[in-house]
Amino acid sequence: MMCNEWETQLNEYVDGTLAAEARALVEAHLAGCAGCREAVVELRALVAGAADLPKRIEPAQDLWTGVANRIGKRETGSGKRWWRGALAAAATLVIGFAVYRLLPPSAAHHRPAGEGWVTLQAEYEQATDELTSVLAAERDRLAPATVALLQRNLAVIDAAIRESRDALARDPENVELRGLVASAAREKVELLRWATRVAT
Amino acid sequence: MQADSSDLIQRAQQGDQAAFEQLYRAHVGRVYALCLRLTADAVRAEELTQDAFVRAWERLASFRGESAFSSWLYRLTVNVVFLGQRAGQRRALRVFTTEDPAAFERPGDAVSTVAGQLDLERAIAALPPGAREVFVLHDVEGYRHHEIARLNGIAVGTSKAQLFRARRLLREALSK
Repeated sequence: MMCNEWETQLNEYVDGTLAAEARALVEAHLAGCAGCREAVVELRALVAGAADLPKRIEPAQDLWTGVANRIGKRETGSGKRWWRGALAAAATLVIGFAVYRLLPPSAAHHRPAGEGWVTLQAEYEQATDELTSVLAAERDRLAPATVALLQRNLAVIDAAIRESRDALARDPENVELRGLVASAAREKVELLRWATRVAT
Repeated sequence: MQADSSDLIQRAQQGDQAAFEQLYRAHVGRVYALCLRLTADAVRAEELTQDAFVRAWERLASFRGESAFSSWLYRLTVNVVFLGQRAGQRRALRVFTTEDPAAFERPGDAVSTVAGQLDLERAIAALPPGAREVFVLHDVEGYRHHEIARLNGIAVGTSKAQLFRARRLLREALSK
């Protein structure tokens, strides 16, 4: 039986990803723990078994006809599809931003802010940060014109987020303003998600 | 491999469907295996395999030969599966169950090899989706955690946690 508190280190040990000092600690523990030694043997067998699984499995039926029917109606990727996607995203953002600007202040309803809102904001920040770092690493895969369009759209949506946050700071109980912040945040995450999908 | 030749790829990039069919024939087994193991759903895997090749056809122009065509195609396939999984969350799930191990059977395999591997395949199929996806990509396909994190939109730490969870669940399942 493996010691629960050693699970991460034993997996990393089997994967060979531990630094020398950490590896020495694991080996010292293994020297005195039969359960963890057994677990390491099992883990190695499992990893080896997974790596040995056949890489090919033929589908039960020939899928080419379905593929051929679909590609027969479409052009090969030429950049046009990228632009259609980019323009669709741009249109969505512009419309979303315009709707935000058009909403009257009198539309506000008042509800107390809760922990859910704080959690939502934190999740958005995390998702945005992760996607932004992915995109930064992969952006050279995008055409320069696509990157430029993406940056313009991100600037638009960032402005919307800033404005709605400022408004929310002045009226923190306004549930509709919170909805606008959330909506803009969702748009940003979706745009970043789209861009990373195209780039990767 | 003939089907991986730059000539075939170039012809397919110029719209030659016959060349693309040869690329399909050369890679469909690998693409389907990836879809099947990631989804644990034979019907869905067939749909996603077709989606992957249609998407590959559409994106062929973006393949610049910086990596092997196979690497490009399998990475694209993983993207298609994950996008399909997200969309699929909104519709009823067709769950591949371990009662249908025939989906993993391969004619011509030695019986002793098949027995052990089928047990493992069935145990992988029974994993929770997040753990299964990371296990398949890391331990079966050989992706690294940072690649899995990027493909799946998760943190590296989450990828590791899911892998270790998957291994724990598999050890438990296989020791029964």
